[in-house]
Amino acid sequence: MQQDPQPVNQPNPFEKVVEFIDERVGLKNIQAKMLNEPIPGGSRWAYAFGSVLLFIFILQVVTGILLMFYYVPSTDHAYDSTQYIIHEVDYGWFLLSYHFWGSSAMVVMVFAHMSQVFLWGAYKKPRELVWLVGLALFGIVMGFGFTGYLLPWDQRAYWATVVGVEIMDKTPIIGDFMARFLKGGPTPGQMTLSRFFVIHVMVLPAALAGLAGLHIFLFRKAGPAGPFRGTPDEIKAKTDYFFPRQIWKDIVAMACVFLIICSLAFIEPVVLLQQATPDPGDYHPEPEWYFLFLFQLLRLKMFGGELGQLMGAMVLPGAFMAFLAALPFIDTKPERNLFKRPVALVGWIAVMVFILIFTVSAIINREFLH
Amino acid sequence: MFMSKIKLGLLISWPTFWTGFTIKMVFCLLLLAAHMHPWEGEGFFLLLLVSIPIDIWALGLCARTVFIDRLKVDPEPGIGLKLWIRWAVFSAIALPLIKIVVSGVTGVAKSVTSNIVHSFKESIYPTLGVAEQISIELVMWGTVSTVVLILCILGWLYGLGWLAQPFVRNAKPLGGTEEERANFWDGLRIPADQSLFLTALTGTGVVLVFVFWTLLPSTTPHPHEEYEFISKGPKEEKVEPKKVLKEAEKVLAKAELVIKKLEEEKSGESKDSKKPPIEEQADKGVTTEKAK
Repeated sequence: MQQDPQPVNQPNPFEKVVEFIDERVGLKNIQAKMLNEPIPGGSRWAYAFGSVLLFIFILQVVTGILLMFYYVPSTDHAYDSTQYIIHEVDYGWFLLSYHFWGSSAMVVMVFAHMSQVFLWGAYKKPRELVWLVGLALFGIVMGFGFTGYLLPWDQRAYWATVVGVEIMDKTPIIGDFMARFLKGGPTPGQMTLSRFFVIHVMVLPAALAGLAGLHIFLFRKAGPAGPFRGTPDEIKAKTDYFFPRQIWKDIVAMACVFLIICSLAFIEPVVLLQQATPDPGDYHPEPEWYFLFLFQLLRLKMFGGELGQLMGAMVLPGAFMAFLAALPFIDTKPERNLFKRPVALVGWIAVMVFILIFTVSAIINREFLH
Repeated sequence: MFMSKIKLGLLISWPTFWTGFTIKMVFCLLLLAAHMHPWEGEGFFLLLLVSIPIDIWALGLCARTVFIDRLKVDPEPGIGLKLWIRWAVFSAIALPLIKIVVSGVTGVAKSVTSNIVHSFKESIYPTLGVAEQISIELVMWGTVSTVVLILCILGWLYGLGWLAQPFVRNAKPLGGTEEERANFWDGLRIPADQSLFLTALTGTGVVLVFVFWTLLPSTTPHPHEEYEFISKGPKEEKVEPKKVLKEAEKVLAKAELVIKKLEEEKSGESKDSKKPPIEEQADKGVTTEKAK
């Protein structure tokens, strides 16, 4: 019997390409590092928020680039070019509405991610730096929302920026400089739009990409915190790799969020108000929904006057953010079980209730304005 | 293993909701792209129809997971359908009742708190601001509504757990270690041919994306009232040759009169004051020939 001269397992063209790249960049090594990360206690839905955030950001970049093909960042054309995107560009209305709701989804996800890390006690040693970089990322996401809101150049955009810059102006020492720098003149105009545009499409994406990379690097260095309950043996027994269970959960969560954003783009698409003018007319200036609680807080009499406004707009939020930054260094006890940290649990509930009450109050307050 | 009825109801219903939610959302999005609202009319009916098999499948999957993973028992086959029928009948009665109770209590609480705060404002603290008043009223009626809502939900979950308990009693106990139980469950739910499963999933995804972009309106379904469409171009007017010629003659007559007048002025001829102004003559439709 004659033997077959051909070897049985001849690599196909795709395998040859993979082999070629692997020899040069160590592809298989990278893949193993990415996918074979152990997750103490096994995969959880609660761990999907970070991946979902990255997914939303990537789609914001993609939709943002597509919108930039048509958007003109000048006070003469910003409004018209946005209307053109909505009415003339094929699927432009959907892309813009997706981008708009995607920004809200990012804020919600940042909030959910931070809440999960806080409640799980995952900010404690050795993950202090991960927490701090995460806080900076939270600030950047808020910055995205604030700068992007002006770009359509309608009444809503213009007056939300006026209110936002006025609040910023109240910051001691740097407030005046910041407000003048952002406005570029006594009232919002071309300079303001140019600066907001550059910050929105250049500065913040670069900062976010860099810090997100650092965040992931620090997270991988420290390793996942794992569940806050269970003995070390139990956690070890349930430990699983990132692939396939956690990846599956992440993909399902991403699909879920994507579908919700798409549905919102249909149900409440972006519809512009009148073109921006320095006269508000019948329009009552209001910031984006995630700043409504702060806006309503400033309507309270105790925050009236110069000093009150400074307290409500700057001192309180600033102190809260400073407290969050200092948290890993104040709360140094190794205990992570949420039910053994009553102050943390009650504090988180109190903050949530506070935000909810003042946001709903701001919505009810609209009836009193009309 | 003992588990309270509320916990059992919650442990099964919560993941069931989310498992079915993603698939239902795909269908909702396709309905929206096809200009149908999933919350009214035909769209709602279609969504309801599609939700039934999805919920039965999701309930079976999640209930089995809880039974094997948490209760360490193997439930009888077809638990998804059996439990779904019980839960659907119970929820069809309980959820509208909860809605009536919560909205009724909220309505009463709103009116009572409004009266309390108004009388407080009139008699004790007349300078109470609008923002403060809104927040105080919201906290008062919101607390009552939230407590009633939580109690109603707990009652509903208790009912779900109570309906699921017979299945726990009839289930076969599972021995072995946690790892063995996990492997047993993995063997039941993870498809034997994973490549085929992934190919089918990807194929379905591609088809759905194609259907979505086909249905998606290319221009906004919510046009701005004041926006003039550029793509439509300028309004085309119907050309009537006779009218155009008449208009042209008028213009020429007017031009000739102007030239004549200018020539007269230049040559220093006397000006007749009784003569109507040149524009008036032209407007009266004096043709080129008549002017001559």
